[in-house]
Amino acid sequence: MDEKLKQELIGIVGQENLADGLIDRVSFSYDASEHSHRPEGGVWPETAEQVSEIMKLAGREKIPVIPRGAGTGLSGMAVPIEGGIVLDLSRMNRIIRISIEDRLAIVEPGVVYSDLEKALAPYGFFFPPDPASGKVSTLGGNVATNAGGLKGAKYGTTRDYVLGLQVVLPDGRIMRTGSKAMKSVSGYDLTRLFVGSEGTLGIVTEITFKINPKPTSTSTALATFDDLADAGNAINQIMHSGIIPSALEILGRETLLAINQNTNLNLPEVDAMLLAETDGYTREETEYQLEKVTEIFRRNNAREVRKAETEKDVEDLWAARKSAYAVLARIENNFVLEDVTVPMTKIAELLKGINEISERHGIRIATFGHAGDGNLHPQILYNGYDPQQVKRMEAAGAELFKLAIGLGGTLTGEHGIGLSKAPFMTLEHDPVAMDVMRSLKKMFDPHNILNPGKMGLEV
Amino acid sequence: MEMHGYNMPEDLYYEENHFWVKEEGDLLVMGMDDFAQAMAGEIVYVQLPEDGKSIKLGKKFAKIESGKWLGKVFAPVNGEIDSVNEELETNPGLINDDCYGKGWMYRIRPDDKGEMENLIHGREAIEKWLLADIEKYAQE
Amino acid sequence: MASKYAFEEKYREQILKCSRCGFCQAVCPVFGATLRPALNARGKMLLLKEVMDGKLDLNDELIETLFQCTTCANCFKNCPSGVEVPEIIKWVRKDMVRAGSCHPAFKGMNEVLDRHTNIYAEDEPEDFERERNRKAAYVYFIGCVGSYREDASTLATLALLDRLGVDYTLIDEVCCSGVLEDVGFAIKDHLARKNMDLILDTEARTVITGCPYCSRTFNNKPQYAELREKGIAVIHLTRFLQKFDFGVTTDKRVTYHDPCDLGRHCGIYEEPRNTIRKIAPNFVEMPDNRENALCCGAGGGVRGAYAKNSIAMARRRLDQAEAIGADIILTECNSCVHNLANAKLRRQKFKIYNTTEFINELMEEAE
Repeated sequence: MDEKLKQELIGIVGQENLADGLIDRVSFSYDASEHSHRPEGGVWPETAEQVSEIMKLAGREKIPVIPRGAGTGLSGMAVPIEGGIVLDLSRMNRIIRISIEDRLAIVEPGVVYSDLEKALAPYGFFFPPDPASGKVSTLGGNVATNAGGLKGAKYGTTRDYVLGLQVVLPDGRIMRTGSKAMKSVSGYDLTRLFVGSEGTLGIVTEITFKINPKPTSTSTALATFDDLADAGNAINQIMHSGIIPSALEILGRETLLAINQNTNLNLPEVDAMLLAETDGYTREETEYQLEKVTEIFRRNNAREVRKAETEKDVEDLWAARKSAYAVLARIENNFVLEDVTVPMTKIAELLKGINEISERHGIRIATFGHAGDGNLHPQILYNGYDPQQVKRMEAAGAELFKLAIGLGGTLTGEHGIGLSKAPFMTLEHDPVAMDVMRSLKKMFDPHNILNPGKMGLEV
Repeated sequence: MEMHGYNMPEDLYYEENHFWVKEEGDLLVMGMDDFAQAMAGEIVYVQLPEDGKSIKLGKKFAKIESGKWLGKVFAPVNGEIDSVNEELETNPGLINDDCYGKGWMYRIRPDDKGEMENLIHGREAIEKWLLADIEKYAQE
Repeated sequence: MASKYAFEEKYREQILKCSRCGFCQAVCPVFGATLRPALNARGKMLLLKEVMDGKLDLNDELIETLFQCTTCANCFKNCPSGVEVPEIIKWVRKDMVRAGSCHPAFKGMNEVLDRHTNIYAEDEPEDFERERNRKAAYVYFIGCVGSYREDASTLATLALLDRLGVDYTLIDEVCCSGVLEDVGFAIKDHLARKNMDLILDTEARTVITGCPYCSRTFNNKPQYAELREKGIAVIHLTRFLQKFDFGVTTDKRVTYHDPCDLGRHCGIYEEPRNTIRKIAPNFVEMPDNRENALCCGAGGGVRGAYAKNSIAMARRRLDQAEAIGADIILTECNSCVHNLANAKLRRQKFKIYNTTEFINELMEEAE
């Protein structure tokens, strides 16, 4: 790092909150995606004021600044692709206030999701999104990607729970959006603009979340299907059941095989397995709801329908689901994890299409995902050291996006565009929309220093 | 006052294991001297006894550790601990940074301040003792 | 293509399996205390991948992360991709030493054990007021930390063994030197020989030790195979205590900290708790217990090389004890006692003991 810059940064955050040695530069090069690029160094600010000073400095020196939470993003939004300074928000990790009566929690962006969960649990409250990475991902990261999770179908995603933000703009100005009131339509909805903006329009330094009382009872069941189409139809028909399960996940054959190799769960190795959870406040309620769901499973030729009886069984099943993508990573030395999402009526087609693409390109694609809101996670597994396989992976990936868009879906339900999907933005967004997005970016960040090179916005 | 590469203020009284003592009103203040902190390396832990704990002349009343060394702190006089430097709990390195100032360790209420006269004091005595220890440790 | 480094030959596949998910950040004690990705298991694997890809060489710049790992294996336990990070780190450290890049504390430790009998280069052990090297049914092996840093705990343990009428002897023990294998070096044959000779001379059939690390070294390392071949059993004190009743109880709120070397590395979780429940009906668990126990931060040489961070890690564990309102924290490892005790703040009123020390104190009070 340039010595003068380094001293100025130390002047803002202190010596102990700056790192520009080799090991830090290397680790800041990566997130959970397949992309990497070295920054000049990293800083850990502790206040919004410090973030503001850093942005002003970066603006003067025209140095890119890349915000980072836990670095578990799957699309490369935290990768410093154009060098610069990584702004690691992990040390801004206080839970500022929880107010049950106001039904809100105010947190700093570096708070880990599960730490908020633990803090709310004694009150019988929770923050619903439940991303699979919740044990490590930070709330700031969750906001930046509008993280979804296992409870999306019933409870929505992160954006449905953000009441307000404090944001540092690329020019260093600090502003607040939203309100502590449970609803507001005062002025433009700036909160919504920043949620999901992948750290390209501003840096979130404080979040006010709406929180929910946590249902105390759940019931869980799994169903196996010999034919993917049956599973797809079952998923569709759930909407007719009159209830919405709190979670509805699908696990494809490859995924089940991989899980079995790495745990003692001994899951049946079939074309598709559906995992469903219903929640409520009494056993009767959740069992009643689950019955509606399992009825639909049976009506769609489910080979086996099994209820999870003990707490341990339930825990094991969900743990297996949450670690699916990393477990699958044991199969080959490289993978790409997609999160294409389609309208519910198109799920069966998407599942079929994924299998066809996999066969046609001769490349393994394992599938699992949030069946409940049409968000599948096809995971392309390949040997990254074999140029042939890399070509096939790229071709298969491109087709997957075309397929999803063709079915009226979106490139990404929850992981964001980042770098991975940037080349495909124009598949989904019309030229006017792209133009508007570019204009917004330019308005917020005329010098293009805040997380540049992301989201396919650069011409 | 610089002495053979170490800062050893002449006006202080020294316990032979390299702890300094000085009067402050009714109390005595105690800390580690420059020679010892340099030999020890970065201090990582200082035992801070409870206020009011009684200490007996010549007996160990606390431990102090650096990465490679465990040292004992012996009472320079009879008395009791009046208070301790609580900063050392989270920042024991103060002893290395400023052993005579911010790195002070214990405030002692002595039974008899006169016992201080038995400690090493005066430029000549300090220098003789320091040189002997420099030699002794150079051999190890 | 021949690998440049031994670690790559042995662990290339595993390192490639790291999917960068970052789930290890949830449990790595070093990351928990510093929030620095470079020090986390994932950070280490990313560096090693770059080394394997020829982008980096093993050199001094990597010391700070490659030698700062307590080898607690919490990462491995939680890694969905099954990457055995601690084992990989131990091998890489040997490559680092070969390449001439080693943390001075460990280089120093290796040299100390050529000339001294223990890792602290102390020349005068406490005599613990007991005979050494006599013929007895059991040898009690103290270990370096117990001999030179936690002598009060050792004295209490021996007092307890006396009360229980155990026919044991101490020996003029020397460092088992197992730690050297984990920090880039190797067990000292002359030290292993000395220990084995002393043990064999006592004609004891069983060695009891309070140090889980020594117990693992004696039981697993080839340098101590002769003991096993001669049918000498080496057991940790916690196993030995199972058969005794103590006749004392306390109504204090007691919790137990699972040492990594006894817990995750040996799978011993229930025996210590069985013993504690006999004397402390008011037993409470900390969150993150048994195989999820949060490392105290002392292991893998970290207390010697990165003491500040080591104590910061211990503080995080003590926060958990404080949160459940524990009066007493018991554990079965001198290293844990040492680090936790150093980390305890003055305002924290709980006490930290080895289980045997606590039992002995209760028995003393009952007299």
